[in-house]
Amino acid sequence: MIGTQKFTGAIRTLRSSVVPSQWLYTVGVIVLLLALPFVVRLNGKPHADWLQFLGRFHPSLVHLPIGMLVLLPLLEVAGTRRTSLRDAAGFVLHLILATAAVTVVFGIFLAYGSGVMGTTVNRHMWGGIVLMIELFLCVTVRPAWISGQSPRAYPAVLTVSLLTLTWTAHQGGSLTHGSGYLTRYAPGPLKRLFPSASGASDAAYVGSAYTRYIHPIFDAKCVACHGENKETGGLRLDFYDLLMQGGKDGAVIAPQNPDRSILLQRVTLSPSDRHFMPAEGRTPLTAEEIATLRAWILAGASPTATSVSGITRTAKNADLPLQPVGDYSYLINDIRQMQVSDGAKLVPVSAKASDGLILRTINVASKFDDAQLVRFQRFAPFIVEAELGRTAVTDASLETLSKFTNLRALHLEGTAITGRTLAKLSSLSQLIYLNLSGTKVTSDSLAPLKGMSRLQHIYVFDTPAEPVFRTTAVQSGRTQ
Amino acid sequence: MKQHPLCTDCESPVTPLELPVPAAVKQKWAAIETRRRFLGRSGKVLGWAALAGLFGRMGLPGYADGTDVGDDAGGLPHFAPRAKRAIYLFMSGGPPQMDLFDYKPNLASQFNNDMPDSVRGNQQLTGMTAGQAHFPVAPAHWPFAQHGQTGTWVSELLPYTARIVDDLTIIKTTNTDAINHEPAIMLMNTGNMNAGKPCLGAWLAYGLGSMNDNLPTFVVLQTKTNTKENNQPVSSRLWSSGFLSSQYAGVGLRSGADPVLYLADPAGVDRGVRRKMLDTVEQINRQTLADVGDPETNARIAQYEMAFRMQSSVPELVDLSREPQSTWELYGPEAKQPGTFAYNCLLARRMAERGVRFTQIYKRGWDVHDNVVGVLPVLCKETDRGTYALVIDLKRRGLLDDTLVIWAGEFGRTVYSQGGLTQENYGRDHHPRCFTTWMTGGGVRPGITYGETDDYSYNVVKDPVHVRDFNATILHCLGIDHNKFTYKFQGLDQKLTSPVPAFVVQGLLA
Repeated sequence: MIGTQKFTGAIRTLRSSVVPSQWLYTVGVIVLLLALPFVVRLNGKPHADWLQFLGRFHPSLVHLPIGMLVLLPLLEVAGTRRTSLRDAAGFVLHLILATAAVTVVFGIFLAYGSGVMGTTVNRHMWGGIVLMIELFLCVTVRPAWISGQSPRAYPAVLTVSLLTLTWTAHQGGSLTHGSGYLTRYAPGPLKRLFPSASGASDAAYVGSAYTRYIHPIFDAKCVACHGENKETGGLRLDFYDLLMQGGKDGAVIAPQNPDRSILLQRVTLSPSDRHFMPAEGRTPLTAEEIATLRAWILAGASPTATSVSGITRTAKNADLPLQPVGDYSYLINDIRQMQVSDGAKLVPVSAKASDGLILRTINVASKFDDAQLVRFQRFAPFIVEAELGRTAVTDASLETLSKFTNLRALHLEGTAITGRTLAKLSSLSQLIYLNLSGTKVTSDSLAPLKGMSRLQHIYVFDTPAEPVFRTTAVQSGRTQ
Repeated sequence: MKQHPLCTDCESPVTPLELPVPAAVKQKWAAIETRRRFLGRSGKVLGWAALAGLFGRMGLPGYADGTDVGDDAGGLPHFAPRAKRAIYLFMSGGPPQMDLFDYKPNLASQFNNDMPDSVRGNQQLTGMTAGQAHFPVAPAHWPFAQHGQTGTWVSELLPYTARIVDDLTIIKTTNTDAINHEPAIMLMNTGNMNAGKPCLGAWLAYGLGSMNDNLPTFVVLQTKTNTKENNQPVSSRLWSSGFLSSQYAGVGLRSGADPVLYLADPAGVDRGVRRKMLDTVEQINRQTLADVGDPETNARIAQYEMAFRMQSSVPELVDLSREPQSTWELYGPEAKQPGTFAYNCLLARRMAERGVRFTQIYKRGWDVHDNVVGVLPVLCKETDRGTYALVIDLKRRGLLDDTLVIWAGEFGRTVYSQGGLTQENYGRDHHPRCFTTWMTGGGVRPGITYGETDDYSYNVVKDPVHVRDFNATILHCLGIDHNKFTYKFQGLDQKLTSPVPAFVVQGLLA
């Protein structure tokens, strides 16, 4: 008994004389924190469900210490005038420490439980740990700041904490929303400051079927969770070697054996299956993408083969993304007015304004003539489809239509178009569909349309041009 | 003679307090009749009324006010649609899939063998065959052949449909929950086995609105029945608007020579007089609306107006005299007779041209419980050419790019014979676990066969498509996210695909 008392007494003397007692705790905690990632190793394997259950509170809980940490410097500054606020700041700092500790633990639960790993996950984790250490330092050096012994240390550590917080929070945000979330809608000049890293691919396999057909599928549908930033299940699909290496369950591709390939199994399950990929309601792979993957695996899943039987897809012009139309909100009152009137209408293609407008004349078709069309010229850039079938428009309207540069579909069936001036339409670079059925167009007058790269469907049923097109246009319905 | 206290026409009226009721109750009544209570209660009522007014539509779920959502740019379609309109060829009664599309060559050797119990499992059968001691396998009576570049197997009963297989998206694994006609046909059309829900066409009319103000948004065409066939009744429940305003219900055109009765103005009544009359009727209706506030009055006003406009648009629609000769070569001479399936197909094409959003053609008689060999060829002959002609006609006129054509019945039929199986004939009972349907046109992937059934065309082996998924996929082609397309009624966000999860079948999409 006496020995023990002597010992603790000695420690107390040591503490008060050599190291302030607070420092001892701090150093101990720092060591523990730094050791944490080496104890709880993120190996890409999911663990107990209860870990994930608690872990999923991390993204909401995290905002509590963040808010308080932003408040802290304000309290400290205000505290120079009112001492009560300074006292409050001390309390808040301890509260931050406590909530931040719980948050870090829950964050580790989340990562360890769900089996994610990756650069961003690592950065976020280390950011959180470093922030915790800085907060402990804050607590440790604050008394000296209040007493005036060391006026610089505390403000410096607090500033660094705030910077660490910003960086760590950004990493966390990137995990939740994807890496381009913040800059996606930034104005052009600002955007150029942040180069986008997506779409990275193996430089070694340029021109191969893998690079052309397979990698783009993964890049669009899978890499968000199986990439550099987030490696759910220890699986990365952004590089060929990593794809073949597989994840925690081993290889996901069995060359020449699509039915044994886990990757293919998971994307072809029923969407209600809990193993279905892409998970959590993200856009599933299309049938064509699945067929492409299957064909590639069947052919041996080679990274270098340039052609694979079964993948016949060629880059068609029509597959290019549609050009969104500009903002027509300044015309919206006129458009609404038209919709309730008896005349021709402009109807939005969809709820998305950038999908453009349809010019619908069916209610007044017999009265809709060239002069009426001219009145729609001011809406021309926003009109993607003109339904002019069975209207009274004539060849003169083709001149007007040549200014509707965003037109994708043009209906002129059953009109008095003779085709003599069809060449005027060649300025419509977006045009995919042209219906001239029941007009007087001849095969000669169609010739100028040959150069239009996107134009895929020309309909000339019941016209003088039809016999020439019969083999292609009528039997298969469409022609190139 | 003393008047009875409850007599209504006595000279001095009776007050409630004179009625023969216990004194305690009368005391309670007297307590209610205080000024304080009256003022207190009216205050509360006013408060609630004001709150309801503030919330407007939002606060009154299920209040159908007949406003056209489709014209509201904010809502629908949710995304750029592949199809603007749809034509639904409904084969009521349940076509036998294994006699038409679902080719099972190995069944020939199984003729008259009992279907293994393992195939049927613990399924509850209909009352019509549950009592059968044997379930003898009846192979298809007709040979199949491969057609088109896709080499799709089609029965020789459908020589015309066989020519367009490269355009079709054939679904062999459509499946439903119901085994009897009424629930199955309701489920197929309205997403629910019970009556009272809006059908697909009504949902589309409500959501997407009209493209042509002079024709109904949703038209139903019935094919004349053939008395040789087993015709299950179809009722207007199938094209009803359910809890939506009745202006979204399907407008049925008659299958006779006169598609709408009394459409022409009677002798001595010209258009101006008719207009004047309708204007007055509308005034009266508006008065009723102001007095009563029943939203159905709005629907009635809209329907009178539609009928007036149809007086000029319908005669033009059904006037086939200007159809070119090529039309008759394609559809066949039958298309000249109103009420035939081919005629209805031709009308459907003409309506597609004129901006009708949704046309549904019903063909009854597919309920082949017996005499499959006698009746099925008749059914196929009635429908095959019209179907083919419709698809080809839409295609050559450039309409198939933005029209979705759907061919479906409410369920399939059993591989085992109902009643006696002979070398010459057999019957087939209802079968909900798998049946063949197809789609073509805007949004779906041409030239594919989706899903696989087992050797008996009895169970789905791969890629099932439930009716809900089928409907979700149709909505998707028309630019609608079925999960977002809801209508609040009876406290539930109602949708066509019911509250049970449904999935757009990605494999069917182009």
